[in-house]
Amino acid sequence: MDSVNDTAVQDPAHSASPRVGVYICRCGGNISDVVDTDHVAEVCRLIPGVAVAKVHTFMCSDPGQQTISDDIRQEKLDRVVVASCSPFLHELTFRGAVMRSRMNPYLYEHVNIREQCSWAHKHDPQGATAKAIQLISAAVGKVRCATALEKIRLPNHRRALVVGGGPAGMKVAADLAACGIPVVVVERSDRLGGKLPTLNRLFPDGQNATALTDKLESQVQVNPKIEILLKSEVTQVSGFIGNFEVTIHGDFGPSGQSTDIHTTVGVIVMATGFKPYVPNDGEFSYRKHPAVVTTLDFNALLARQHGNRRTLEFDGRSIRSIAFIHCVGSRQLDGVHAPGPDGRLNTYCSRVCCTTVLNQAVQVRQNFPDTRVYDLHQDIRTYGRGHEEYYTDASRAGVVFFRYHGDEPPKVVHTDGPGSPLRITVKDYLSWGEELELEADMVVLAVGMTPGSCETLVDQLKLPRGEDGFLQEIHPKLRPVEISVNGVLLAGTAQAPMNIHETLAAAGAAAVKARAMFTTDEVELNPYVAEVNTQLCEGSGACLTQCEYDGALTLTEIQQDGRTVRKARVNPGLCVGCGACVAVCPTQAINVSGWRIDQYDAMVDGLVRDMAPATV
Amino acid sequence: MIASANNERRKNTVVIGGGIAGLQAALDLADQGYKVAVVERQASIGGRMISLSKVYPTLDCASCITTPKMSAAAHHENIELLTYTEVDSISPGPHGHTVVVTRKPTYVNAEKCIGCRLCEYACDTEHPDDFEQDLGSVRAISVAFTNAIPQKAVLDADYCLACGLCLRACPTDAIEFDQQPRQETIHADTVIVASGFQLNALTIKPQYGADKNQNVISPLTLERLLAPHGPYGRVLRPSDGKIPDSIAFVQCAGSRDETIGVPYCSRVCCMYAIKQAMLLSGSLPTADITIYYMDIRAFGKGYEQFYQNAKAMGINFVRGKVSKIDSADKDDLLVHVELTEEAQDCVRKQRHDLVVLAQGMIPQWNPTASSPVHIGRDGFVATPDAGSPCSTNVPGIFVAGTAGGPKDIVDSIAEAGAAAMEAGRYLSMRGASSDSPRTVALELMA
Repeated sequence: MDSVNDTAVQDPAHSASPRVGVYICRCGGNISDVVDTDHVAEVCRLIPGVAVAKVHTFMCSDPGQQTISDDIRQEKLDRVVVASCSPFLHELTFRGAVMRSRMNPYLYEHVNIREQCSWAHKHDPQGATAKAIQLISAAVGKVRCATALEKIRLPNHRRALVVGGGPAGMKVAADLAACGIPVVVVERSDRLGGKLPTLNRLFPDGQNATALTDKLESQVQVNPKIEILLKSEVTQVSGFIGNFEVTIHGDFGPSGQSTDIHTTVGVIVMATGFKPYVPNDGEFSYRKHPAVVTTLDFNALLARQHGNRRTLEFDGRSIRSIAFIHCVGSRQLDGVHAPGPDGRLNTYCSRVCCTTVLNQAVQVRQNFPDTRVYDLHQDIRTYGRGHEEYYTDASRAGVVFFRYHGDEPPKVVHTDGPGSPLRITVKDYLSWGEELELEADMVVLAVGMTPGSCETLVDQLKLPRGEDGFLQEIHPKLRPVEISVNGVLLAGTAQAPMNIHETLAAAGAAAVKARAMFTTDEVELNPYVAEVNTQLCEGSGACLTQCEYDGALTLTEIQQDGRTVRKARVNPGLCVGCGACVAVCPTQAINVSGWRIDQYDAMVDGLVRDMAPATV
Repeated sequence: MIASANNERRKNTVVIGGGIAGLQAALDLADQGYKVAVVERQASIGGRMISLSKVYPTLDCASCITTPKMSAAAHHENIELLTYTEVDSISPGPHGHTVVVTRKPTYVNAEKCIGCRLCEYACDTEHPDDFEQDLGSVRAISVAFTNAIPQKAVLDADYCLACGLCLRACPTDAIEFDQQPRQETIHADTVIVASGFQLNALTIKPQYGADKNQNVISPLTLERLLAPHGPYGRVLRPSDGKIPDSIAFVQCAGSRDETIGVPYCSRVCCMYAIKQAMLLSGSLPTADITIYYMDIRAFGKGYEQFYQNAKAMGINFVRGKVSKIDSADKDDLLVHVELTEEAQDCVRKQRHDLVVLAQGMIPQWNPTASSPVHIGRDGFVATPDAGSPCSTNVPGIFVAGTAGGPKDIVDSIAEAGAAAMEAGRYLSMRGASSDSPRTVALELMA
């Protein structure tokens, strides 16, 4: 027989006894394969205050959510707990479900029994089940003394800041302006377009990169809603969604002298782009021999070729043979490649280089039939629509392919003797692992993409970067263009390597989210911020010493009982609800709404409540 | 006979297809205040994604990502879902597009049906379950699947014996045997084609023996076997229910192959094979798992690391092209393969007890017969404007997701957002009004 020994003190603060509904999700089997969910429900029914405890295969599904709504009505529930996956995935889903049943969404608690129970304790079903019960018991304790909260409403400044004037930035600006939203574009260089115009002939349609740049640029230049600030940088940023205060530095003075502009924007779009990988000195003889160049250099070289020749010309020499080496600065392996200046290895694939190389290789073979082309790759990743054709065309045009393993990269040395200046040795797995030596007049390194620099914004807004150094989205499928700072969106290669079409699509996705944020005059924020009990506050200022968020807490003088007294005041837009202030207040006058001290007490009581061990 | 109905609607946008791309596009437009209709041919929205097990590179369960979007679309005040509905035609006109659809008869009154499934339990006629890739069976009247939206029963007239058991079981008198197909018209300013993909036939390369041996399976079948709520709750091979312990993945089995008319790369097969191999090695730790490939195309964010993790887990990556698959004794298979990286003895016959063929992605729907939308040489919707990746040849008609070429879920979702932006921009320039909600709910992330 299960026993629950309720040693918790009866809530003095809540005489009316709340009716809690507890819903336990099987998550298909993700939870119920380990956690005995039926048993959890059985035990939960015995926790004081629990009116209903039910199990469902997918709580997040429509029928699952409907069960909650029905119970709120029929069982007169006024508190709900769902035990399922991470709140990161579904807390909002269930808040929405209770809201639709006209219940305050903050009378809802979410318990993670998937990541924290069934996944973490896969080999201990009994322990996982017992832990699930304890976590739910704590949440029931907490939700019983929860109070209804209202979202914080703040004005929404209908204006977007786009950082970066490359294709992604231009696309976002054009999209938003076309919908009537004012945009400021801040671009570090003296022109728009980013690296797009240098790409020469774009795959997969052979379009001219300059023409596409001009087209995008014409859309932003003509729109009066768009303000373009060239040779300028964001030097300071603070605030929050709907209300970012931004300082932009540039030569804006009447006679071109450098000066600062201050502005308020509702949304910031990070279109800060990428930096091409720069090979280390001597990496594949780069900078040791002038005929070792990158794919970017080679694009420029192709654009400069004039006249009808049968061989490519470089530095006044005929290039009879040229070798392309893939994955330079990408797919790096620990112990094989040297880390970059930041100590990081680029372990990721840069996505665009394979098709870039084949695009260039095909152009060489078509225009300079007497120039031989070698292609040294690990895998040919022509994944996109129309990309595989470049591989086929290159094969048909006589490009000779070599396949190397990532841990055995080819070696390039230069010689001064007669014949070609560059010698490449490669262990080729298209000829069963044979060690081959190639002579080449030129070597082109397919350099990858590395994260663009935007340190001011990253530091001041505390934007997260992923392991690869690129800005990290919240979730690649659920919220692919949002970052963990509300109101900041990602567009294009600031997020990950992408080709131009993918960049424009990603920019469109960012623009649509930005536009959705501007459908209103107000933004709503979660009410989990510090609140001051002015009766208890003695104005000691201890809270201010711990607060890490500028402007979130201030001391203000107010009149109380005919005297001027100092009291702490919270700016709810800037407070993140971290609770550092709560810990140091000598009079316990400050609390975080929704996470009050008495709620923690209730959670602890719930955790230590004597539950019978799970019988599985 | 198709009953002509006077039922007409006005929408800002019609989204064709209720899969992940269509739902994302619909949600993004609806969040801007536009009125959207989602037309879905199946009985439930959710598309291909809802039937998958877990999805790369995060290994989230597919349901966990899809159901909230399905639910959000179902509850959105600006979205109307038209399920079990086919598109007959799209005609552009000076005042927008006229989309004619046929609502197929479900033989169940959707207003009355409460999704209690009593009809399903009462029905005693079974047929193979399409959702479970025919591994399980389903009754002639049923709710599509556990987390289907809407939760309404649909009667399949091809299998129904009209015995009346459901009629007697239904507590709300919702069964209507006399329903007829109904044509309806939607006047819309814009259309988003998100009609998705299908896989080419498992038997498209007869030398792979899928018509002779049941243990040569589709990756979608393996998805159901791996899904925690799948037909068996574990991985069993179809022919005899044996737990497989030597599983082979044959990559490019329906793509990158001019002989079958699919010269292009299907873009998702490398990654889902790696994912399935990882999931298999989790549920069958002693099984040998081999992936026969030409190139591993792990190109997306976090994908290369995913590939390297799989290698570290002991999954066998073998570069080689499979020429044919023969049946061996005990329902096993002999995979004939040239191992291109082996110096010695490179043509081999490898024995496996389950083989998964990476079929190619081909379009689900060809719009050319019923609309002026052009398709490319590959059969997918053409996108002629490089500066606007979701625009078709027809102003106001856009494409999202795999209707515009093979794409994984991450890229489909990004593109759906872009398509919604293009449509929104078009609507905005035409001066279409949107009913904006008063405030926008935004959440602080921890």
